[in-house]
Amino acid sequence: MSVDLGIIKIDQELCTGCRRCAEICPVNAIEGNQGEPQTINVERCVVCGQCVQKCSAYAAAFEEGITSRDVKLVERGMLTSVKEPLFAAYNVGHAKVVKDGLANPTLFKVVQSAPAVRVAIAEEFGLPLGSLTPGKMAAALHSLGFDKVYDTNFTADLTIMEEGSELIERVTKGGTLPMFTSCCPAWVKFVEQAYPELIPHLSSCKSPQQMAGVVFKTYGAKINNIEPARVFSVSIMPCTCKKFECDRPEMNDSGFKDVDVVLTTRELANLIKDAGIDFNSLPEREFDAPLGTYSGAGTIFGATGGVMEAALRTAYELITKQPIPDVDVKIARGGEGVRRTTVQVGDLELKVVIVSGLKHVVPVLEEIKAGKADFHFMEVMTCPVGCVSGGGQPKVLLETEKETAHQNRTAATYEHDAKLALRKSHENPDIKKIYDEFLGEPLGHESHHLLHTKYTARKG
Amino acid sequence: MNCFVVANPDKCIGCRTCEIACVVAHSDKSLFTAGTAEVEFNPRLKVIKTATVSAPIQCRHCENAPCANVCPVGAITNKGNSIQVDPAACVGCKTCMLACPFGAIDLVSEYYEGEKCLQEGLKISQGAGLCAKDRIIANKCDLCVDRPGGPACIEVCPTAAFQLVKNDNMANSIQAKRKQSVTELSILRNRR
Amino acid sequence: MSTKLNCFVVADPSKCIGCKACEVACAVVHCDSEVTTVGTMEIPIIPRLYLVQTAEVTMPIQCRHCEDAPCANVCPVGAITQEDNAIIVKEESCVGCKTCLMACPFGAIDLVPRYKEGELMAQIGLKAQTDDELSEKAQLIANKCDLCSDRGKGPACVEVCPQKALNVINPAKEKKNRNQEAALSLLDAVKKFIS
Repeated sequence: MSVDLGIIKIDQELCTGCRRCAEICPVNAIEGNQGEPQTINVERCVVCGQCVQKCSAYAAAFEEGITSRDVKLVERGMLTSVKEPLFAAYNVGHAKVVKDGLANPTLFKVVQSAPAVRVAIAEEFGLPLGSLTPGKMAAALHSLGFDKVYDTNFTADLTIMEEGSELIERVTKGGTLPMFTSCCPAWVKFVEQAYPELIPHLSSCKSPQQMAGVVFKTYGAKINNIEPARVFSVSIMPCTCKKFECDRPEMNDSGFKDVDVVLTTRELANLIKDAGIDFNSLPEREFDAPLGTYSGAGTIFGATGGVMEAALRTAYELITKQPIPDVDVKIARGGEGVRRTTVQVGDLELKVVIVSGLKHVVPVLEEIKAGKADFHFMEVMTCPVGCVSGGGQPKVLLETEKETAHQNRTAATYEHDAKLALRKSHENPDIKKIYDEFLGEPLGHESHHLLHTKYTARKG
Repeated sequence: MNCFVVANPDKCIGCRTCEIACVVAHSDKSLFTAGTAEVEFNPRLKVIKTATVSAPIQCRHCENAPCANVCPVGAITNKGNSIQVDPAACVGCKTCMLACPFGAIDLVSEYYEGEKCLQEGLKISQGAGLCAKDRIIANKCDLCVDRPGGPACIEVCPTAAFQLVKNDNMANSIQAKRKQSVTELSILRNRR
Repeated sequence: MSTKLNCFVVADPSKCIGCKACEVACAVVHCDSEVTTVGTMEIPIIPRLYLVQTAEVTMPIQCRHCEDAPCANVCPVGAITQEDNAIIVKEESCVGCKTCLMACPFGAIDLVPRYKEGELMAQIGLKAQTDDELSEKAQLIANKCDLCSDRGKGPACVEVCPQKALNVINPAKEKKNRNQEAALSLLDAVKKFIS
């Protein structure tokens, strides 16, 4: 019996063969003739979900001759209370798994949410595109019954500590350069399958999601006096590929599967509606300390250039021992495409590249292969303007409003950062605490064991 | 969606056989052996003849049936795939008759086993005394729901002018028209 | 009496890729509640134009806003009228008799459930009866392209089509353009022919 391993699928009954998905697929993973239902090459697919965002072939409510909506909802792993229309391209859902987990009294339920979720989830409840609602999001997660509402932004800060240190080490001690960011799992899969010879360039840091997963089941279990085996670790992401990432067999350095299940922003909204929670009228709540404390540097990971800017805010101080003159590194910010810039960090002229939209990275990789790359560090995000435009984000119905959604979510991300008291990862007191109490130091033995990983070439 | 019977005016010859078949189908006792000399003839469809057309008109079994929506006693309901009048509940207020945009409802005497039903209380005051009053109720096409062979009018029409329009007939007709339209439009010169 | 011809939207079959973005946009802009994302769409997608796929060609079909609209002429309650050079169905008046569905030569009218604020609108009096139980019946009304007459930016389908396959046709202008082009082409053709 063959098992369909795909996370992104195309419903053969609904697909009209328009191939708009195939046009925007960054890895040409969608196959089929124009006018006929398309299929996804699972090996090649990087699970970015942009096809899911693009697809407009919906299931008509009164269509005869196709499988009923009830059956489709179950097939897709969606809650039966969901009212939204179904489209041909979709991602497999896990809301039921989380719902069941939340109802299980023996589990200690911990949740993390990506920075991009808090600038988009409110859209699913009728609020304007790009509404910033971290307080309501935390409140909703508390209402759903999570024991601890921690946050991916905390481990985004942690990633900066590890990755910033790793970059400095490679630059000063002659390691493989340029170094690539590794927080985007679709980008990592792409390197593994299309440019395996460049794997050594990838930072050995895990993504913030995976760092959080392993921290929750070790340090997190300890500070909460819970047996690690009882921890049910859920992650809310703007991304469909994070479902692939949490299933990677090596992601179990805690001794258990580090992240048990990933839900997209859309799935979380459906779960909230299913529980009868009125999102819009929730009073704001805080994320739980210490693993929910974050700086603005952590939250800007959601926008393209955010990882770079966050890294610079910390690396500058690590190298020069002086705070960065302007905490807003605006040259890192921008839209889809390739941005190249140089940042003066003390005596070092740090050359960086920021890529957003996976297909745009190919010429740069060819440059590196040809030995012509002269830069130190590259941030790559698969999705058009970074995670805020991820495959799991609220799907805007009108083509003409999609760009507005992306712009608004990006603006909200930087607005959130600007208004926080904490702007830099290394100034996060709970980051200092986790190193003092548990990890030791960045790139140290414990950090290496838990927060770093290895990659392998794969077919694709 | 509700079914309905509709006639093609090009085929109708105005013979009124449909009207007769309708009355026969709805009598509970054979008309031809009825004892009473006067039998009221109340078909549920009427052949209309104008200068330009002759065609039978009957209930269209509307989805938002105005007759049902105005009925003050809820005597008209959507049963299965048709709009039905419950004779027992009808009070003869005639609002449905006014509501129907096709004029497909008439108010007629109610019959039971060949005899007219009489009102229980209401009498007509005439001269010195009071007379019994017939029960007068709403009468319209009921799609011959109780008839094994289905609508009688369709069966008897000598020119096969009637058709029973069911949900898939309507859907198929619409799909065919759209496909035809697409074929036609693809012939148009494209100037842009 | 207006003698200006009605405009209508028509698709270019050589450009349509069958993506249904037009149907989605149409349904969204005609929703009575503010809908932005898939998650906020709590009623089925009910478009007023319909994608048709045949062996040879794929394109949407929608109301042609006929000058002598058969749908309007057969409507027993006068629910279909011409307003600002568009043929419009007045929802509240429609009795769901389906005569317009039969009359339309393009199949451009459909009968659909009526929604208000995310819920089906029930009939005022008419109930559905099964055995001895009465239940609510939803209102069903005639649904067709209205040229997005309420919308400032004009037809939504035209705006969102990724292939720019849909266009508003102003028949009088189109005719005039063609007349002019034909006249210009005569300059080359006939002059040379005569000489």
